[in-house]
This record gives sequence, C-alpha cells and structure tokens, in this order.
Amino acid sequence: MEDKLNKIKSDALQLIEDAKSVDDLEEVRIRFLGRKGELTMILRSLGEISADRRAALGKRSNEIKKELETALEGRREELSDFKLDKLIKDEWIDVTLNAEGTTKFPPRGHLHPISQVQYEIEDLFTSMGFEVLDGPEVETDYYNFEALNIPEHHPARDIQDTFWTEDGNLLRTHTSAIQIRGMEKMKPPFRIAAPGRVFRYEAIDASHEHTFYQIEGMMVDRDISVSHLIYIMKEILKGIFKREVEVRLRPSYYPFVEPGLDLDFKCMICGGKGCKVCKNVGWIEFLGCGMVHPNVLRYGNIDPDEWNGFAFGLGLNRLVMMMYEINDIRHFLSGDVRFLYQF
Amino acid sequence: MWLSLNIISKIVDIHDISPEEIALRLTMSTAEIETIDRLNEHFRSIVTSRVLDVQPHPNAEKLTLVDLDTGSKKIKVVCGATNHKKGDIVALAQVGTNFSDDFTVRKAKIRGIESNGMLCSERELGLSDDHSGIMILPEDTAIGHPLSEVFPNWVDTRLEIDNKSITHRPDLWSHLGFAREIAAIFSRKYSDPVNYSIEKTLKGKEDFIVTIAKPDQAPRYCGLWVKNITIDDSPDWLKAAVTSIGMRPINNIVDITNYVMAEIGEPMHAFDRNKLEGNEIIVRMANDGESLRTLDGELHTLCKDDIVIADRGSAIALAGVMGGGDSEIDDGTSEIILEAANFNPVTIRRTAGRYTLRTEAAIRFEKYLDPELCRTAIIRCYEFIKQVIPDAEAVTNIVDTYPKKLKKNTIITNTDFIRRKLGAPVGDKRIEEILTALDFKVDKEKDSWRIEVPTYRSTRDVSIPDDIVEEVGRIYGYNNITPVPPLVPCDTPRVNEFRGFERRIKNILVRDHHLTEVKNYSFVGEDILHKLGINEDKELLLRNPLSQEQDRLRRSLIPNILKNVEFNQRYNDYFRIFELGRVFIKDDRKSGALSDENTYISGAIFSRKADVPLFYEVKGIMYGLMEQLKLKNVRFDPKIKDMPPYAHPGRCMQFSIDKRVAGFMFDLHPSTMKILDIRGNVSIFDAHVNILYEGKRQDNMFIELQKFPAVPFEISVIADKYFYVDDICRLIEKSSRDYIRSVDVISIYEGEQIPEGLKSVSVKIVFAAEDRTLTHDEIDKLQKGVIDTLNKNGFRLR
Repeated sequence: MEDKLNKIKSDALQLIEDAKSVDDLEEVRIRFLGRKGELTMILRSLGEISADRRAALGKRSNEIKKELETALEGRREELSDFKLDKLIKDEWIDVTLNAEGTTKFPPRGHLHPISQVQYEIEDLFTSMGFEVLDGPEVETDYYNFEALNIPEHHPARDIQDTFWTEDGNLLRTHTSAIQIRGMEKMKPPFRIAAPGRVFRYEAIDASHEHTFYQIEGMMVDRDISVSHLIYIMKEILKGIFKREVEVRLRPSYYPFVEPGLDLDFKCMICGGKGCKVCKNVGWIEFLGCGMVHPNVLRYGNIDPDEWNGFAFGLGLNRLVMMMYEINDIRHFLSGDVRFLYQF
Repeated sequence: MWLSLNIISKIVDIHDISPEEIALRLTMSTAEIETIDRLNEHFRSIVTSRVLDVQPHPNAEKLTLVDLDTGSKKIKVVCGATNHKKGDIVALAQVGTNFSDDFTVRKAKIRGIESNGMLCSERELGLSDDHSGIMILPEDTAIGHPLSEVFPNWVDTRLEIDNKSITHRPDLWSHLGFAREIAAIFSRKYSDPVNYSIEKTLKGKEDFIVTIAKPDQAPRYCGLWVKNITIDDSPDWLKAAVTSIGMRPINNIVDITNYVMAEIGEPMHAFDRNKLEGNEIIVRMANDGESLRTLDGELHTLCKDDIVIADRGSAIALAGVMGGGDSEIDDGTSEIILEAANFNPVTIRRTAGRYTLRTEAAIRFEKYLDPELCRTAIIRCYEFIKQVIPDAEAVTNIVDTYPKKLKKNTIITNTDFIRRKLGAPVGDKRIEEILTALDFKVDKEKDSWRIEVPTYRSTRDVSIPDDIVEEVGRIYGYNNITPVPPLVPCDTPRVNEFRGFERRIKNILVRDHHLTEVKNYSFVGEDILHKLGINEDKELLLRNPLSQEQDRLRRSLIPNILKNVEFNQRYNDYFRIFELGRVFIKDDRKSGALSDENTYISGAIFSRKADVPLFYEVKGIMYGLMEQLKLKNVRFDPKIKDMPPYAHPGRCMQFSIDKRVAGFMFDLHPSTMKILDIRGNVSIFDAHVNILYEGKRQDNMFIELQKFPAVPFEISVIADKYFYVDDICRLIEKSSRDYIRSVDVISIYEGEQIPEGLKSVSVKIVFAAEDRTLTHDEIDKLQKGVIDTLNKNGFRLR
C-alpha cells in the first residue's frame, strides 16, 4: 500500500511536469484525483484497512493529494501564461502603420489659415472692448468712397482700383466701408472692429491678389489722441505676436483720416538688420491708421467738435504669409488641400 | 518718382548729410522713400588715360592691343574697337570697376593675351547711345583723373519716392517741394532757385494773346514767345540731370521743359511758333468728334469734356495731357511758344483716363497744382534757354491770363487743440518753428492762431485745423509721442451672434467631422454654370471683369467647390472640404439696390473608392451638424421638388428647419461627374446658414434614465424595394407612442426566399414603461399592436 501510494505520487508528478496543455493537465487530474481516480480510490478504500495502519496511511494519502493539487495548480499557471504569450504574439500589429495597410494619417480637419488668424485677432479686439461688425461685400459708392471723404475723381480712387457691378455698385475695396455703417448704428463712445473680404481690380501674381482679407478697427470717444492710437496699436501687436514689438510710425495718406499714418514693426526675422522678409528695410509695413477725418464723422452723424477717434486697418494675407513664410499669395484662394493641410 | 540729390543740393545744402539719413528722415516725416540708387559710382574707378601704342592682336583680327598711361602706371589692355590711335585720351575702366551687379571688370586673358582693364564707349558709360567705338576725350584732358571728376554731373544719388505716398501733395511732385521738406526737417534754409529778375529784361515786341473760354476748366495760362532758337543736343549737365530723374535726353528745349517740371513741379510745353496759325492761343473745350494727333503719333477723336489748346485754326494740344504732333518742335524749329498753365484736375484726370494717356503732366495736374507756379515756370524756363542758347530772345512779355486767382487758405486754430490731438506736449515755440519752416505764416492772436497756408498747399491739401495737426505731428516726429492708454469705459462689447454662429459651424465641421476649409473667389463664369446646367443668366455681372471665368458674382458656392474637387482629385484619393461664404442674390439686376448677401455652408467629400455609398458620410455630417447646433424642428426628406440638376436623383435629400427648406445633400449626378471629368465618388452638401441661424435652437433638458426593464421585440417586415425604411419605423412608432422607446433597423435582406422587387427589413423595437415593469399581458398587447399596425398598412411579416 505504501509503495502503491509512492508510485502514484511519482507517476502523477511526472505526468504533471510533462503536461503540454491545460487539457493534458485535466486528464492527469482526472486519472489521479477524479471521482474514480487512483488516489481517490485509495482514500475510499481506507475503511477496509485495519485501524492501526489506517491513521498513518490516511495521513500520507492526504499529504500526497495536497502535493498533487499544488503541483497541478502550479503547472496550470505555467501553462496559461504560455497561452497568453501566444495570444499576445498573435495579436501583434505593426504600430508604425497609421491605418490598415498605410502609413498615411487619415486627414484631420483644417480651418483655413486666414480664418485661424482672423479669429485670433477678432478675439483680441473683443477682449479690448471692440464690437465685431459685418458689412456687405458688394457696397455702394457712398459707403466705400464718398462717405470716407473720397469724392468722385479723387486721385485716391486710383490706388484702389475697383470692380464695378452692372447695377452701378462696387465690390468693397476696403473694410473701412463698414466704418460708416457702424457709425450710423452706434452712438459714441464706441469701439468697433470689422473683418472681411475685400476686392481690388488687379491682375494676380505671387504678391498680388484681387480678393484678400482685412480687419478694420475704429474707436470714437472724447479727446482721443495720436498717443492713444499708438498705445492701442502696440497692444494689438503684442497680442498678435505674444511679445513686445518695436514699432515706428510715419506719415501716410488715407483720405478718411487726418493725420494719416503707417505703422511698421521691426522685422522679427532679422531684428532690423535687413533681410529678404523685410526687403532689406529692417521694418515691415503692418497697418494704416490715423485720426478719423472730421468729414467722415459728419457722414456718420457724429459731431466732430464733441467726439473724435482713430481708425486703423490691416491686411491679413500678408500677416499670415509672414507668420508661416508663405511665398505666394495665390495659395490662399487656390482651394488646394495640399496647402490647407499644412496649417 | 526719382529725386536727384544733385538737383536738391542746388536748393538746400545737404553736403554733410548722407543719402541714407535723408531717405530715412523723409520717410519718417514726409513720404516713403523706396530705394536709394547711386548712379555711376563706378566712374570713380574709371580713369582718363593716354594711348601710348596700338598694335594688332596676334591671334584675333578684330582686336587691338593698347598700351596706356594711366598717370600712375603703364598697363596693357585688349580692346575690341579700332577708332583709337596713339596719343588719344580715353576712359579706362580699371580692374575691379563694377558696372552693375552682373558685370565687374576683371583681369582676363583674351585670346592668349592678358588684359588689365576695359576701354569704354559712350554707351557703355551711359553718356549717350554712341557705340561706334570707344570714347575719345578732348586732347587737353588731364590723365590720371577719375571719370567722376571729368563728368561730375553724371555721378548722382537718386531716391525713389513711392508715388502713392504723395497723391495728396501736389507740391511734392517736384524737387523744390522735397528740398523745402528737407530744409524743414533738418532746420536749414532753402533758396528759391528761380532768378525772377530776368522777367525785367522782357520786352513786348510782338502781339500775342491768350484766351481762356472756361476759367473753371483752365484757371490760368502763361505763354512766352521766344525767337532765335537753335535746336541742338543739351549740354552735358542737362543731359545728366534729365537722365538722373529717369527721362531720356531729347533736345535742348524739350530737356529744359522737362527739367523745369521736375525741378519746380509745373508741367510745361513748347510749341513750334511757325506751325501755329495766328497770334493767339485759345484754351477751350474740344468739339465732339474733333480730332487731334498727339506727340506719340496716336490720332484721337475728342469729346466736349476734353480741354484743348488751340490756335486760330485747330486744336494743337490735349491740354494738361500731351502736346499735338502738328505743332511739335523739331530740328528746324526757330521760334517757340512756351506754355505753363493750370487746368481743372478732374477734367484732366478724366481725359487722361479716357485716352489712357497717364503722362507725367497729367499725373501732376490731377493733383491740384498751384496756379502760382505758372509764371515762375516760364521765368525759370527762359532763364535756362538764355543760358543754353544765348542768342534766343523773348519777343513778348509773359502773356498771363489768370481769371480765377487762387486764394490762400487761412486756418484759425489754437495750440491746445494741436497738443490735444497729438497727445504730446509740443510747446508753442516748437509749433511756431515747425509751421514757419514749412512756409506757413503764423499770426498769433489772444486765444487762437491765424495760420496762412502757402499757395502750393492751399489747393486742397491743407484746409482744416486737423491738417495743421498733421504738419506739426510729422515734423515733431510721431515716434516722439509717448503711447498713452485711453481713459474709456470698460463695458463688455456686444457679441456678434451671427459671426459666432458661423464660427461654431466651421469648428464643428473641422473638429468633429474632419473637413478642411477652403476659401473660393466670389466670382464664377458661364463655363462652369453651363457644365452644371444652371446657366440661367441670373448672376449679377461685373462691369470690368478680369477674365471670363470670373465675370459674375456667385449665386451658389457649389460651382467653385466642384472646381476644387476637380483640382484636388488629381493629388488626393480622399478629402473633405467646405466653404462658408456669401452668395449674391439679386433678381432685378437693373435697380441700384444692393444684392441680398446670403451666407452658405457648402462642402464636398471625394473618395476614389467607396465601399459604402459616400452619401451616408455626408448625411452623417449634416445630422451631426444640426444636432450640435441644437436645432430643433429639423426634417430630412428624400422627396425633393427643386432638386439641383447636378444632384443624383436616387441619392439626395433635402433638409428643412421650421418647415423652411434649408439645404440639400446628394451624391453628384453621374453626368456631372463625367462632364467635370471627376473619377471617383463625390458627395455634396449645401446649406443656407441664415435659415439655420434663424431656426429654433434649444439646449436639451435632462430626461430621467430608464429605471424599469426594457423589453426588445424583433420582427421582419416585407416591403417594396423602393419603400423608405424610415417610413416603416415611423409607422411602428405610431402604434404606441407611450411605450415604444426606440425603433431601429437591424438588417435589410433581398434575395432568396424574398420575391423580386421586395425586401425584408428586420426591425428591433424596445418597449418600456416609465413607472413600472411591463406585465406579460401588456407586452403581448404591444407586440400585437405593432403587427396590427403593419398589417393594416399592407405590410406582411416574415
């Protein structure tokens, strides 16, 4: 009996060790520990054995049973780890791919670079208390020229060659056209900003486009001065470029302001030494501005003796071109997704 | 416009200021200087040299070997010309002479012999067109001198002015104007270059009259008859000066009139007296149909809105624009009539535009020139004529007809106003200094200053106190003004809801649906409209289109979107694009009213391959958009009345909001695909943003989660193949609105066991109650209700 038990033990342990799978193991368990298993049978037959040997044999049998159970459990764990390894290996994928069978990323959506910058600037203006206004793209001569102190046959009309429509209206040549509409609607004091698409009758090439984007700003209050204008312009530049920007102001001519100014900022590429971006000038022309001409205020039903203000306008295309080193203005309206995906 | 510093330096002393400094200060106070151009700098390394010997080149028939004495050394050069001989004085460009960015003289072996420089022709030096041989200088020319000393007038620095920055300043279209500015900026004096005393020498020997028909069209006309003229080349200084300001030397008289125009700003003209009829100049409006051949040889048919200069016979010049060919001076001219006049700027502008003759004269006249310049110009011109042609003699006094005398502007303002507008503490003294330096006369009264504007700024440029603020500001220097934050209320600005809505749409499409925004032109052309079958001549046309493809304003964003698809499919197998922009709707195109500008959001998906119809992608995007915009009352409908002709009739839907049609979505019609040569699949959406904006929008309110068990029920319905499954679902929903939680299609089957022309639609219905668990009886009743409803509507179950 003792020998039989030892043999069971050694056979079982050997088989457990040799088991190649959980199923093999289950067979071993059934053979020795199952309902009719070899060890189970011995345990059941203990009653037939004399009482003096029964205790020792019973104890021994239970020891072996425990030992086998531990061995089975241990081996089962080993075997399941092996299965997980296989599973993991089977589920391997090439993570350098981006989609099935391709290294291309599915395209995400892209907002047009001009929209991106325009919205950023709109938010900046809003944060400074400017209300954002809209105006029609096809305008009347009155709003685009006359009320802006540009009467018919004024030489300034040359600078802004105009698309005319068959009904005698025109495609607005600047967002300044929105100024008068704004003044008609609002009571001073006010601050308004007007972004939008503008048009010039002009053949297109790498640096000229007949359709482009501007943003206009205007502030009307009591006792507004050039010093306030410069302050606000510097704040706007700081907001756009997220740092202090050195500026210079020089006289310029826009019929709707007096005095009229152009604002340049120091080229950020070369720091003012002169480079390709600033055409070796060291400064980049950024916006036109000035104190609102009294005639323009009058056209907007505002008494220039009581109120005054400043206005400014800047071109978005050139700004975006500079920010991203875009070398051809025609890309913006090309609809070419190879361009748009870059921003 | 070119500004010659040689000419400037005759009016104001600038010898100690660098051209860069002048350019910068002018840019900061007056007008933008675009470039600084140094003319003939290389003359400094070209030296006068004597030819010691000339030998034929042993290896080349057409070349000569020249030994030269440069005054400091003896060198040998190879020369291509043969007109020089021993003893001649020539101009030698030494090694290193830089003619241009592309050409520097270098030591080189020419056919085996080393050459140490280059002998120059007059053309190579820019002195004339003569290229027949190298330039031979007069015998008495000293050798060893740089050419810059022999031809000092030709060495100049010129500044290029941005013409756009002086459109408002008639006075700045001249050297005198800029010299005055430089004097004011650098606090120096300028001297009027004109010698007025010469007028006293004039004697009226001949009768000559000027008649002005309409003084408002020609406020002034000055003429002078000069005899004993000999037409010849101009002297060296004049040729050099004219070249410097960007013109070509023609002859002495033409060059003098051009020089005077550039110097003091008054365009001038000289007629050949012997080609005129009668002793009278008549300034009148042209007759309709009157013809005139201008100096450039063109024959123009004039109209009554043009001003002409005429003699007793016919028109002899298109006033303020260009002289006539028949009265042009030529080599045989011996008598001239000099003209300096002033014309109505608007008329000149229109005439110049009408005949596309934007001449130097017209450009100046349209800027409102100072009529006071006329007489001065005649005097200045006569002074030069006497200098260049000493025998010339005026036989009249200045014949001056000046019916409408210009009044100087007087502006009354005070210095507080100026300081307040600038926001800078400019003292009274400094203000007075600046104004005086700019030739304004300041008359100080107790509370205000009476400021008299010089005539050359009075024509339109300076007329209100704000103009005085500018004068002070620009000379004081805008950069000397300290930026100050304005003291204003800090109200939050009103929000532009519509723009916010547009932006939300764009963000949803970009971020949630991965579309890329394009921006297209607002124009379309007939070609694409025709291709799409929507060429109905409804678009508002441009009067002056740039091209046929862009000659009208778009009424839809789709044509340009489809052009984008056509283009991008060449480089991409898959893309999603959209545009948010305005279309222009105007039905009565004759009226002057503005178009309705409606905002649309339109887009396209392109896929080379499509396993599932692309339409479902576009539909997913539109459903998502409407939901995210929180639009209530949105209805998608497959039954369309006014479907665009480029839409696939079997794959399209329209959507409406609050019962207004808001847009369409569809696959592109197969014929349109073919016409546009698009290879792949295209699905389109087109939505009217204003209608979306006006639609009822509302946040969802919380609904209690389902607490009691939900019971699923699946059935299969047999339906006509073309019956919309959505209608089946809606029908089922109707059977019990209270307990049906959802109705969804699980699968659709056609084929075996289903008769031809029919389909089997499997639907999963979920029943539940809000307040209790449904009993078996209730469930049975609900199921029966569904089946009954379907049967009643003629559907069989499978």
